[in-house]
Amino acid sequence: MSTVHAIHAEWTKLRTVASTPWLLLAAVAVTVGISAAATAAAGSRACPDPAACLDDLARLGLTGAQYGQALVVVLAVLVIGEEYGTRSIGVSLAAVPGRWRLYLAKAVVLTGVVAAAGSLGVIGSLLAARHFLPGTALGAANPGQSLSPTAEPVLRAAYGTVLYLALVALLSYGVAAVLRDTAGAIATMLVLLYVAPILTSVVTDPRWLRRIDRIAPMSAGLKIQATTALDSLTSSPWQGLGVLGLWAAGALLAGLLALQFRDA
Amino acid sequence: MSGRPGFGRLLLSELTKLYSVRRWSIALLAAPVLTVLAGLLVAASSAPGSPDTTVAGPDGGWVRDRFHFVHRPLTGDGSLTVRVASSALELTVPEADGGAARAREVERTVWAKTGLMLKDGLRPGARYAAVMLVPGHGVRLQSNFTGDIAGPAAGAPAWLRLTRTGSAIAAFQSTDGTAWTRVGTVTIADLPPTVEVGPFVASPTGTAVVQRQFGSLRESRYPTSTRAVFERPALEPVAGPGSGGSPDGWRDDEVNDEATAPDAPGPPPNAPADKRPQSGPPPAAWTGDRLTLIGFGDIAPRPAPQDLVKNSLTGTYAGLLAIVAVAVLFVTSEYRRGMIRTTFAASPGRGRVLIAKAAVIGATAFVLGLVAGAVTLLLTRPILLRHGYAAPVYPDWTLTDPVVLRAVAGTAAVLAATAVFALALGAVLRRAAGAVATVLMLIVLPQLLAGALPSTAGQWLIRLTPPAGFSVQQTVPRYEQAPQLCMPENGCVYDQPWAGFAVIAVYALASTAAAVWLVRRRDA
Repeated sequence: MSTVHAIHAEWTKLRTVASTPWLLLAAVAVTVGISAAATAAAGSRACPDPAACLDDLARLGLTGAQYGQALVVVLAVLVIGEEYGTRSIGVSLAAVPGRWRLYLAKAVVLTGVVAAAGSLGVIGSLLAARHFLPGTALGAANPGQSLSPTAEPVLRAAYGTVLYLALVALLSYGVAAVLRDTAGAIATMLVLLYVAPILTSVVTDPRWLRRIDRIAPMSAGLKIQATTALDSLTSSPWQGLGVLGLWAAGALLAGLLALQFRDA
Repeated sequence: MSGRPGFGRLLLSELTKLYSVRRWSIALLAAPVLTVLAGLLVAASSAPGSPDTTVAGPDGGWVRDRFHFVHRPLTGDGSLTVRVASSALELTVPEADGGAARAREVERTVWAKTGLMLKDGLRPGARYAAVMLVPGHGVRLQSNFTGDIAGPAAGAPAWLRLTRTGSAIAAFQSTDGTAWTRVGTVTIADLPPTVEVGPFVASPTGTAVVQRQFGSLRESRYPTSTRAVFERPALEPVAGPGSGGSPDGWRDDEVNDEATAPDAPGPPPNAPADKRPQSGPPPAAWTGDRLTLIGFGDIAPRPAPQDLVKNSLTGTYAGLLAIVAVAVLFVTSEYRRGMIRTTFAASPGRGRVLIAKAAVIGATAFVLGLVAGAVTLLLTRPILLRHGYAAPVYPDWTLTDPVVLRAVAGTAAVLAATAVFALALGAVLRRAAGAVATVLMLIVLPQLLAGALPSTAGQWLIRLTPPAGFSVQQTVPRYEQAPQLCMPENGCVYDQPWAGFAVIAVYALASTAAAVWLVRRRDA
């Protein structure tokens, strides 16, 4: 079976599972909904002192991705975790004897689906921000920041967020391939993504704050959303996304090795 | 097997199931390990700020001690009486922060104190007892910073009297100067024969939340001043000239913990203006036997800026997530493998099976939580001490302090309740992925989301979701007479530590009830 056939088979599997459309819909809805709530709350706020209201409007408008990614994690884990849960991994491996081929096909389909849903979420979020922010005190306090997704640096923040979601999906996929357990992989991924921000809220030493901020997958990867005050970041937007890319590459490699060299 | 198996045997069989799956044991053991490691990371990466003062009260706690004091020495027993004619608070909130309407709201957080003080000298932090009028809180007898006895709900004008008999200080209040009501009596240990007594005024800083920057609440502070008029101060027995009601013999000082040389008696030394948050008040003014006194500052316990025990236990979040995963799998894997039918065949009381499972996972989580909490605190304390967290700002603690015990036992109880909640949700949904994701999102997301919502919505989100349980980890004491803003940003969810635990307990009980009902009704 060629790789293209394997990809086609995986696409059929993914779209015919009942949970897939719901998870994708929920991911888009959560991303857009929370982004809209955040921008609406910020936009309606009185802003007597413009200097105190300086904010990164694009980043603010894309807040929802921090929460939508949780559903992306669940989807990515289910893609491979459920094969082990239902023992259908044996059938899949019999149909696609090259194990790396199956692994690649699943990764390709997952990336495509997440990128499509992520794009919808990002476009919806930016539209909501453009609806709520102009004309408010917050918008007036931040002149010169456009929310047009066709111009840099908002364009970079927009497609960067899609890339971010795709990398989170691949990281989760790799972790699930190693752990071969749905619940364990979801728990591991949510710890990895969300516990660092909780830890940094009680850490007071600035050196450690910088270290955690640069290494933790979520805080590093989301730097791609920054459009203003770039020099105050602990690393540049692309470096940050690169750190998340390293996390994802490591997990993917570990997952491939686990698939190749362990009994399924 | 004849009849229903005993509940003890049911517990034993569920316990065997839980402990015989190797990856569950690994995950369960990972919970305390993750908690301890995260606690060590937090401890290793924490640094104490530099506090503006390090004045300690008689019991060694960190205190604020700044007030305007017109005093004279009293040797041996005696009493001091005065009429407080008026007391007026001055507080301005800038228009940008809400102006006069906001000022009335801030006023409620200000315990402005006007009354009589008996103090062991003028050193900030020295022992004292004082009877005072506090607008909105009536007559109070306060002593040694943490003591606070409420008296009648009276305001100015009123008569106040403070009487010393040995180490017992009694306070009285009267509306006409003839019929007296006792406010209370306190015993101040180690009081020297000669103490300073006299009228005093203190006027603390008001606080309010003003939301400015997106995602971050800012606590705004507004200095206040209180102008009070005292009449006919009378000291008995009369010592020295003119104690009846004239400036003779009365000395005018500001006790100020923020001044550079706190030990120096007399007027505070002239520190550079930028080092002084608020320069001293104008001197006391006498008109016959009327004394007008303007005061700043506060006499109150100060909370530590960081709750070291709570911060050290932050890693509970990581451990909790591992326990949640196992708790969910403990029931969903039985459904997945069809094992649940065997289980129900062996023990037909389905509700009892679920209760047994809940008891086993809850007890396991509780024990793991106790171990994790105790080990974390034992390991982090020396690290924090080495990083310069020192008394009086950060009082030293041991594992056997009641509040620390409460934090450790409370953490274990929160883990147990969350594990039961996760198990019950697993039984309701029968799918591992959905149940794990739901519980974990409920635990983790409110913390992050609260910052992105308007302040009130964010606060209620945290108060009504499982993370509220972690308020049981608070160890910094709160005092009614030193009100603090309770904001999630300060790690404060509820003022009462156990109130948060009640929230997660309700989650656990409600979900267990729903699960028992569903498991009985549905096909397995």
